[in-house]
Amino acid sequence: MELRERAREHPAGVAFGVIGLIALGLVLAYSLHDVAQASLNGLTLGTIYALGAVGLTLVYGILRLVNFAHGDFLTFGAYMAFLVNVTWGLPLAAAIVFGMAATAVLGLLSERLMWAPMRRKGAGFLQLLLMSIGLAFVIRSVVQWFWGTEIRTLDVNVVDSITFLGLRIGQTELLVVVVGIAVLAAVAAVVRFTMLGRRMRALSDDISLAEVAGIDTRRVILYTWLFAGALAGLAGALAGALTNLRPELGFELLLPIFAAVILGGIGNPFGALVAGLVLGVVIEMSTLVVEPRWKVTFGFVALIIALIIRPQGIFGKAKGV
Amino acid sequence: MTELLPLAVSFEAFTDVGFWSGVLVTAGIYTVVALGLQLNVGYTGIVNFGQAGFMAVGGYTMAILVLEAGFSFWLALPLAVLATMAFGVLIGLPALRLRADYFAIVTLAMAEVVRLVAQNAQGLTGGNKGLYCEFEGVNQTCFDDAWKSLSNPFLDWVEGFWPDVDPLFPLLLVVWGTVVIGIFALNYIQRTPWGRVLRAIREDEDAARALGKNTLLYELQSLAISAMFGALAGFFLALFLTTIQPDDYEPIVTFYAFGVLVLGGLASYKGVAIGAILLWTLLEGMRFVELPITEERTAALRFALVGLVLILLMAFRPQGLFGKKEEMVLGR
Amino acid sequence: MAAETGNGPALLEVDGVVKRFGGIDAVNGAGFTVERQSVTALIGPNGAGKTTLFNLVTGFAQADRGSVRFDGEEVAGMPSYAIARRGMVRTFQLARALAAMPVLDNMMLAAPEQPGERLRNVLLRPRAVRAREREVHEQALELLEVFGLGEKADDYAGTLSGGQRKLLELARALMARPRMLLLDEPMAGINPTLGRRLLDHIQRLRSEEGMTFLFVEHDMEVVMNHSDRVVVMAEGRVIASGEPHEVRSDPAVVDAYLGSPA
Repeated sequence: MELRERAREHPAGVAFGVIGLIALGLVLAYSLHDVAQASLNGLTLGTIYALGAVGLTLVYGILRLVNFAHGDFLTFGAYMAFLVNVTWGLPLAAAIVFGMAATAVLGLLSERLMWAPMRRKGAGFLQLLLMSIGLAFVIRSVVQWFWGTEIRTLDVNVVDSITFLGLRIGQTELLVVVVGIAVLAAVAAVVRFTMLGRRMRALSDDISLAEVAGIDTRRVILYTWLFAGALAGLAGALAGALTNLRPELGFELLLPIFAAVILGGIGNPFGALVAGLVLGVVIEMSTLVVEPRWKVTFGFVALIIALIIRPQGIFGKAKGV
Repeated sequence: MTELLPLAVSFEAFTDVGFWSGVLVTAGIYTVVALGLQLNVGYTGIVNFGQAGFMAVGGYTMAILVLEAGFSFWLALPLAVLATMAFGVLIGLPALRLRADYFAIVTLAMAEVVRLVAQNAQGLTGGNKGLYCEFEGVNQTCFDDAWKSLSNPFLDWVEGFWPDVDPLFPLLLVVWGTVVIGIFALNYIQRTPWGRVLRAIREDEDAARALGKNTLLYELQSLAISAMFGALAGFFLALFLTTIQPDDYEPIVTFYAFGVLVLGGLASYKGVAIGAILLWTLLEGMRFVELPITEERTAALRFALVGLVLILLMAFRPQGLFGKKEEMVLGR
Repeated sequence: MAAETGNGPALLEVDGVVKRFGGIDAVNGAGFTVERQSVTALIGPNGAGKTTLFNLVTGFAQADRGSVRFDGEEVAGMPSYAIARRGMVRTFQLARALAAMPVLDNMMLAAPEQPGERLRNVLLRPRAVRAREREVHEQALELLEVFGLGEKADDYAGTLSGGQRKLLELARALMARPRMLLLDEPMAGINPTLGRRLLDHIQRLRSEEGMTFLFVEHDMEVVMNHSDRVVVMAEGRVIASGEPHEVRSDPAVVDAYLGSPA
């Protein structure tokens, strides 16, 4: 009884403990090198998940909006980057920045034109969810209209790789991890240390209380969408650089991103960050045990199991009555 | 600057029996799926995003039983329905204690797991190619052999007095027969005390529990019935497309079903049927609007159409065509 | 108001109940009894744990430790619907009128032993289902009349005023034929006239039907003048219990109310 209570109060510790034990088991069963390489690959995937999840969790936490269009925000960012990088021939850095900016604008527009008016009408969660699905379809249709369904790629180096400590990482993958983690760290710093971040956390906790306390909620919400859009655009552009561009790019990433959001505790950007990274690593590590084509399935099963054991996520707060 | 695109609509298409058969069968299949969805969302308040998964479990179980276990088609059908209902209960037991938005995501994840298993368990499910027929030397069994053995003679008989009858006609009859029976049955049980408990759960689960109702049991029953409709829709889809492939059970199917649901209106079973017919006439009818654009762009337009329908409905008429504003529990 | 309470062991016995939420002891070893056919009030300053205890007793929260015995049977750990079926029915602070259902449906929902609520009976015994429906329909209408809501039977419950919803909540709880009714702040948000009517109903039900009542209340006038016993909570524990006038002058109680931040 005592131990169970203790475990319930330190879920992150338990989770990491379990993962650590599994990793240890894998190292013994396979080799340190294999586990380390899988972890490195997983870090790349996890960075994308984390970028998507942080933006999504901020919106979910503050606005209680299950944004099914978030995946297509990623797709949008990827294709905007394509526009700049391939169609206009500019360097990748410019393309990524443009992708982030364009998606941020998209997020702001959706807030202005759709979410804010619906909130004023007192729309419930299912109404908003279905609207977000509609928005996802519309964004997808725009992408498909202009760029068709054929697979495209960004102008990136997919061949070169560097090796260190016996581990291999592609040049593009390294870029994804470096840029992604840097941005994530910056966002984490903003949320943790700035006034804006404090306000975001206040809104996430209790939006009506925050209003009563005099916080300009409209402004904070706009900033939230700015962040969410930019992060989604970045995640999409990086995912496009890693793999390729197709209209389903973002939607395919949406469920794992939701998994990271839920596991990290809704509205908790730090939780989403860690959960995203961990999820990526866990999914890649699963390829040691199961065939690679099963790895996405494994991710979903992990989500389902996690939700059933602990519905509020690893980092979420237990609901009181 | 783009000049005004000449819009040519070939109205002949709308009198083409083949066009209407295709539309009606598709609309019928979506109606069957959405009837179950209506029971869940419109009447019990459980936001089930896994209908495509139930369709897949139903369809694949039937095909696997017929093709790989040698069952008779007519036995495989009820067994597959039972299997799907059992699957629904299995999912529901742990998932139904989650709050509504988590439940939606978990059911969506569940449906995707089913699809991915179908895609990857190549030995059992034929992977991406799917299942249709098994070949043993010169012998061939297809899962719809038994169906064809009944529907083809029937078709021949009808051709006797209606030479232009579309080959889909028997399937059309069965699908819409199921829809009509389904609507009657659902309306009937909706008006019972059982249905009343469901509506109470939709409204406020705690209040229902405070009055002594074992809400989990009712929710499981609702989910199981919905799974049954999903399985039936899965069969019909398999017979329609003559294959069972993972691609036909993507989340977009569930999203379209929701589109049908909200168009017809929550808490209205007949609305589902009308919503489905409207939506699919619109979607398929777009093929015959001859715009000088590519196929891909036409497909993109279809996406845009469904998306806009969802957005506009939710914004301006959330109760859909036949829903009652007072029973709108969406807006709370 | 020293009315007669029933003989025999207490209907509700709560003993040593503990509930922790994330490090805080919301309820820490609370214990009290409710005698049969009594009207007992549960009071205490904000944050004393009254609502949590209420939820624990009725199964809407699970206690970490302790026992709750209803009519001799241990119910701690039972799900809320099972406890309600055993005759312990609760109402909610914000009246949970099922707004998108007609008033009559609200009432009929609460009736116990409806064969029509089981799908098997709906399909196999339609006549029995219909017969009971008719009975329940009549009973519901009668009860609505008693509470002055007869005319509203076919209206959606969402169209009722706040006070009417509270009455509906009470009427509906009564349809369930409870042995003990737990009311969560029944006087909150209703005008004094309506409040007095409610209290009259409660007294009548107690003396005519032998019902037992436990309510959480902040209104001291109601507590002092309309209850047989008062149980006082502070900081998760029961600090006093007894007749109203005893409790009012208990120094521990005075301390709790004055000393705590309101």
